Amino acid sequence: MQEDNDQIYRDELFDKLKNSMSLKREEECIGCLIKPALWWIIERPSPTIGELEKLVNDSCPCLKKGHGKKPKPCAGSILGVIKTAAETRKLTRFECIEGLHGFVYPITQSERIYGYIGTCYTRNDVSPEVLNIFSAFTDTIVREIQKELELSKLYETLRPRAIALSTVHTVHRLISSTLDLTELLPRIARLSLQIMRANRCSIKLVDAKKKTLLPKATVDLRQKKTRLKKVKVGKWAPGKAVKYGRPIRGDNYLATPLIDEDVIGVITVYDRIDDKPFSVFDQEIMSTLAEQAVIAIKNAQLYKEQEKLTMGSIKSLAKVLDTRAPGTYVPRASFVKISLAMGQEMHMEADEVKSLEYAAILHDAGEIVVPDEVLTKPTKLTGKEYAIVKEHPAAGVEIIKHMKALKSVLPTILYHHEHFDGSGYPKGLRKDQIPLGARIMAVVSAFEAMITTRPYRVMKTIDEATDEISRNSGTQFDPKVVETFLNVIGKKEIRSMLERELYE
Amino acid sequence: MNKKPVFESPLHLKIVKFFHENQASIDTPRGIATWIGEDRVKVKSALEDLVKKKILIADRAASTTGYGYTRDTALISKIKKILASLG
Repeated sequence: MQEDNDQIYRDELFDKLKNSMSLKREEECIGCLIKPALWWIIERPSPTIGELEKLVNDSCPCLKKGHGKKPKPCAGSILGVIKTAAETRKLTRFECIEGLHGFVYPITQSERIYGYIGTCYTRNDVSPEVLNIFSAFTDTIVREIQKELELSKLYETLRPRAIALSTVHTVHRLISSTLDLTELLPRIARLSLQIMRANRCSIKLVDAKKKTLLPKATVDLRQKKTRLKKVKVGKWAPGKAVKYGRPIRGDNYLATPLIDEDVIGVITVYDRIDDKPFSVFDQEIMSTLAEQAVIAIKNAQLYKEQEKLTMGSIKSLAKVLDTRAPGTYVPRASFVKISLAMGQEMHMEADEVKSLEYAAILHDAGEIVVPDEVLTKPTKLTGKEYAIVKEHPAAGVEIIKHMKALKSVLPTILYHHEHFDGSGYPKGLRKDQIPLGARIMAVVSAFEAMITTRPYRVMKTIDEATDEISRNSGTQFDPKVVETFLNVIGKKEIRSMLERELYE
Repeated sequence: MNKKPVFESPLHLKIVKFFHENQASIDTPRGIATWIGEDRVKVKSALEDLVKKKILIADRAASTTGYGYTRDTALISKIKKILASLG
């Protein structure tokens, strides 16, 4: 291998030297001082007498002119001077034909001789200064070419690695951008497939008992797809990778364990599209990708846990509030679903939609400050009582603001009683001054109040409530939000869910 | 595959060449612009053209988009021939 590389380097070096414009210029410049001259390059550190005879036969002007000089003795003297130049590592002069001289300059790098540049048929009165210029000039050209080759080699070595590193960085950015496992795992599978140029990738996670691997995501480009199945730890490549905590590589598969404190799963890629076997380099890249995947998966799992915790707290709070007026604060699943669907149809970001879900449950939490007799009063409220009721959005914010995870919900809770025309409370905001979440919640909470039992109001039917919402579009409610609401409520799935919850 | 629409500009050709030579690469418009020494905005637009032609695959996330080479072996072979013919 080393010899092959040496030969490649030697070939490139002499190829560049023979085509070097600088060397041609040297021939022109120095040639003026030493002419007439024949320049030659020998591409071996120890040329044979046969090779030199060929050189002389092919190029010697003495032979061409019929000078009478036999090539063999000339080749012999060149061979002798080459040996001297190789020993001294310096420019060496020799007698060419009577009255004329020649020079040999060794091409070296790090004590190693690669070949020689020489001249024949030159003047015999060339001064030492000219010879020094010849040496310096030639040396500079050779060093320049050697540097160029080194740089080129460095570029060829580093560029693929830099591109691979950039790929790893891009993958990190792509998989860090989501905390949703249902989105994350297929993305990791897709990216693994792309990087490995494979036909199939599957991600399996270790189940709680740690005896089985559960398939969680797969991407299969083949016509005949493999059915997703559980794998026992220790079985097949994925199971072995998990059992031994190290990559398991075969010609057409590469299973890489996902290792946190313990092994949490495995990414397996199968069948390269070019039918080549997976390499050690593939294994290294997949191990790096697996390290990043583990961090992203753990983050997503932690986020999911945090979300469950937050939702649990919210539901507990709603349950406590509901004990005062049963059926008022624990929202039906359909209202939450209507809120979420409206947020999605209005192109809200995923985290904003999540906030809407929390707000759907908690928007009236502040009614805890409203006395029971006011809250359950069946007749019209007095001005003083209504003033107390109007404090509930701010009171809700006071209760919830201590939960950091719910910070984004606060504007929706505070402003969900604002009216589109500015006639609402607590601040009399209008139109776009009211946050979108609060405009949505205004419609959903009004609809909810109309179609559920309230002490102060006769329950309306779904159609009656929908009509009233439409009538108040542009005054109490944002027309765009009402339009979205009507669209959502018109969906068969939502309508059936509502009817089931309300009337069955 | 029609040769003309694929390489509708020298920039498109440069991008296709980059991905053909680095088939395992996934990179952002900024990264690709750096590798081929071209303007990022123009590269981004050309990348989207190549996605429409199914020569590149885009993986879109909120913060960025990663572009990778097609896995269609027939298309890769055609591109290989075209690149070889262009020298």
